[in-house]
Amino acid sequence: MRRGSLFTLIGLGVLAGGIATAVAVLLPWLPSPASREAGRIDFVFWFVTIICIVIFAVVAAGILYAVVRFRAAPDDDSDGPPTHGHTGLEIAWTLIPTLLVVAIGIVSAIVLAKNDALAKDTLRVNVTAQQFAWSFQYPGGNNLTSGTLRVPVNRSLLLTFTSKDVIHSFWVPEWGQKQDTVPGIHPTLHITPDKVGRYPVICTELCGLGHATMRTYAIVMTEQAFDRWLKGQTKATGSPNPATSGAAVFKNNGCGACHTLTAAGATGKVGPDLDDLTQSAQKAGQPLQQFVETSVTDPNAYVAPGFPKNVMPQTFKSLPKDQLDALVQYLIQSSKKG
Amino acid sequence: MTAVTAQHHHAPVTPAQHGPLRRYLLGPGWIRAAWMFCLLGGIGFGLVVLARWGGGWHPILDGPPIVLVSLLVAAPVGFLAGLGTFDYWTYYALGHPTRAEDHSGHGARTWKDYFRVNTDHKVIGMQYLVTTVVFFLIGGMLALLVRAELAKPGMQFVDTQTFNGLFSVHASLMIFLFVIPAFAGLANFAVPLMLGAADMAFPRLNALSFWLLPIAGVMMVASFLVPDGAFACGWTGYAPLCSDHQPLGAVFFNQGVQWAGASSIMTALNFLVTIITMRAPGMTFWRMPLLVWANFTTSLLVVIATPFIAGSQFFSMFDHVMHTAFFDPNNGGYVLGYQHIFWFYSHPAVYIMMLPGFGIMSEVIAVFSRKPIFGYRLMALSLMAIVVLGFSVWAHHMFVSGMATWLRVPMMVTTLLIAIPTGIKIFSWLGTIWNGKLHFNTPFLFALGFLSMFVIGGLSGVMLGAVPIDIHVSDTYFVVAHIHYVLFGGSVFTIFAGMYYWFPKMTGRMYDERLGKLHFWMTFVAFNCTFFPMHLIGVEGMPRRVADYAPRFASMNMFISISSFALGASVIVFLYNMITSWRTGEIAPANPWRALTLEWQVSSPPPTFNFTEIPQVVGSPYEYGVPGAQHAILAPSRATEVEKEVHA
Repeated sequence: MRRGSLFTLIGLGVLAGGIATAVAVLLPWLPSPASREAGRIDFVFWFVTIICIVIFAVVAAGILYAVVRFRAAPDDDSDGPPTHGHTGLEIAWTLIPTLLVVAIGIVSAIVLAKNDALAKDTLRVNVTAQQFAWSFQYPGGNNLTSGTLRVPVNRSLLLTFTSKDVIHSFWVPEWGQKQDTVPGIHPTLHITPDKVGRYPVICTELCGLGHATMRTYAIVMTEQAFDRWLKGQTKATGSPNPATSGAAVFKNNGCGACHTLTAAGATGKVGPDLDDLTQSAQKAGQPLQQFVETSVTDPNAYVAPGFPKNVMPQTFKSLPKDQLDALVQYLIQSSKKG
Repeated sequence: MTAVTAQHHHAPVTPAQHGPLRRYLLGPGWIRAAWMFCLLGGIGFGLVVLARWGGGWHPILDGPPIVLVSLLVAAPVGFLAGLGTFDYWTYYALGHPTRAEDHSGHGARTWKDYFRVNTDHKVIGMQYLVTTVVFFLIGGMLALLVRAELAKPGMQFVDTQTFNGLFSVHASLMIFLFVIPAFAGLANFAVPLMLGAADMAFPRLNALSFWLLPIAGVMMVASFLVPDGAFACGWTGYAPLCSDHQPLGAVFFNQGVQWAGASSIMTALNFLVTIITMRAPGMTFWRMPLLVWANFTTSLLVVIATPFIAGSQFFSMFDHVMHTAFFDPNNGGYVLGYQHIFWFYSHPAVYIMMLPGFGIMSEVIAVFSRKPIFGYRLMALSLMAIVVLGFSVWAHHMFVSGMATWLRVPMMVTTLLIAIPTGIKIFSWLGTIWNGKLHFNTPFLFALGFLSMFVIGGLSGVMLGAVPIDIHVSDTYFVVAHIHYVLFGGSVFTIFAGMYYWFPKMTGRMYDERLGKLHFWMTFVAFNCTFFPMHLIGVEGMPRRVADYAPRFASMNMFISISSFALGASVIVFLYNMITSWRTGEIAPANPWRALTLEWQVSSPPPTFNFTEIPQVVGSPYEYGVPGAQHAILAPSRATEVEKEVHA
């Protein structure tokens, strides 16, 4: 190869690599990390990205150079030189990628091991997923249950997952870590939040019609604020589970993901409008109280016209009696107001 | 058509005692297909009702089992039998005299011959391609509807059931009814010709494989017509969402996959036997064109892997219709079992959707660079390496699934290793182009488009292979971007390249080069504008398969949606080019690309039986630039001899 062509080739490589680097640096790629694990994941992300940019630049330079330099003239019917291969080159482009992927593998395995390693004072929280709601239970706080995940900053956190129906997936983009919740098994996920703030919890595994609305928040607080909250919650209600008011049951079970209920500020459109309960009961020809209760516990018994069967989860029949009663009363009261 | 083939044009032999009406109703064809469809559907219905009545199961008229047995299993069998795909075997099995092969069902003389059971591999290849393009259009429309809904946050004009149905059916059609069978179609046309064979090893089986396909496609599209809507659990059909919480449409998916899968397995067996036993004299494995190598390795993958997806869909369907508990954790079922079985097929399926494209690339790049393939043997060996490694990486789809955590690192290692043979192929194509005499015809443009886009898709694949990154971006739009770079920038670009490349050979006419180039540039630009931004919103936090999303992703999604409509528009150019060129294009010479492989050494389109005499293969198929090198010696065709005699 002539020296001039080599310079052109390198120039094209630098150009392609430069463009790719600009795309990588100038666009806001990863969310700003709010956990130690996300910081390490970011490191792997950029480590692999740099390798990818180099390989992309090499291939792009090769293609661009060939396109410009080796274009056949319109009337040129001759063939190129009959090169059948080059053992040295073939060994090189087998060995170099091997070394690169081995490096990626080692870095990834180390980061994975570090991200999974628990600290001594790990806070354990049980997470229950169901269509289409999250609830968080604190075994160390009298089994307090909450619809948002509140955790102290800079303390190792182990989430243990239970799913009541189908597969969901727990993800806080700023924390980087993700775990599917699978009915029948109880996988865990380790996170060490290191920034105070409020972050979205997103379900990332398609779980049914309300999938896009299966969201809540993770709130990272200072250690003191967290302890205050935990104590305050337990004391205020005098019972280990404060979630027995109808409004709380409605919220914690994610009813608003699918239903509209003005009193709860819910605007879901997957299921029937709960502001019209009285009319719906009349259409079904049932007394209001019985209609509402059956519709929660056995949704297929009567399906409102215009809505498909089997959409509403059957899991609510397992609600404790006191919560169910509170929910039914709450729905009846709210719909009368609405 | 040559004089030789004309000798085979006998009228179909029908016993004289049958009147025309009887022949019309009972002879193979669409009339018989229609009534046998109804008849077998009725029998299926009767069987279910009888069994339920006999067993005392109530209600006796239960929708799901009736629809499954009658409409999705028995009626399609009736359709196939009516069309005549089983005739020969039925005569044989019943001890009737089989009819002497008169080749009346072989080759196409009018357009009507494309609409019946035909045993000619070239006709079947075209049947495949036209059918798959139709499903490509339907699948594309569904994608545009998805993008229209996602143009703005909030719900626009479909409900969530419809939305989930749209993307589920889009993916299923594109995978099972476009990419996989379009490759099967191209290979069906090209492989026997490239081998110097008269046809595939099992022409009747070949015809049956094709006719299974429209059944699968119609079934998946028809799921939109089922009360309560189409299957809406994604093309992955994860249990227990798909096996327990879905409308009846899910069964249409389960069963549609079975028909498409059966079609693929039969075709793959046919390719294997054809390639192993029907190579022309002198065509050793190391003299086979890489397209043949690619289909050989793909067929190995299909034969070994496809039964696994069949299993997973049967289990899921049994859970749904018959209330078994394979994936029901409340009754001892194992939810992750579904994913393991499903991905044991569906990861190799990624290579089933890519290796034939690699084969097309090797043909196109060598021919339009006027150079031998760089490192031919390593190219073939890397295909084999991908086959072997391809079976050891399935669980990289399950890094966040809750499977045994120790499995992640070994699966990551094999996943990363698979980048090596893939890299070898990319670099060898670059080596082929290097110092060549490049001719920028449409197939070559798509080949270069493939090279650049597939590198991006491959590199994002390496990123996904690294477990910590995968944990963050799993089930986000980053994955959507990756699969579209691999399956559109990879597979679909190679399918376009292949369609333009063999268009003259298939139709006997040239396509319009200017429209072809316009199609390429529109596709290339719109493709990148559509799918590249998806990487970004995925990493930032937008999950996939959502009908609604956070307002901060609004402007990016609007941009993606507009680009996707431009991408849709590029397909119109392609269609217009294909249709008008097929009707009125310039007549194609036998070898417009001056290629060495065997299919270009016969007329365009080739004679019905491909070669008048079996060619003698004497060298490599890619000896461009080697003075006097020949791939094969062909006996002068009988037609040319007749012509000479006439002129003499």
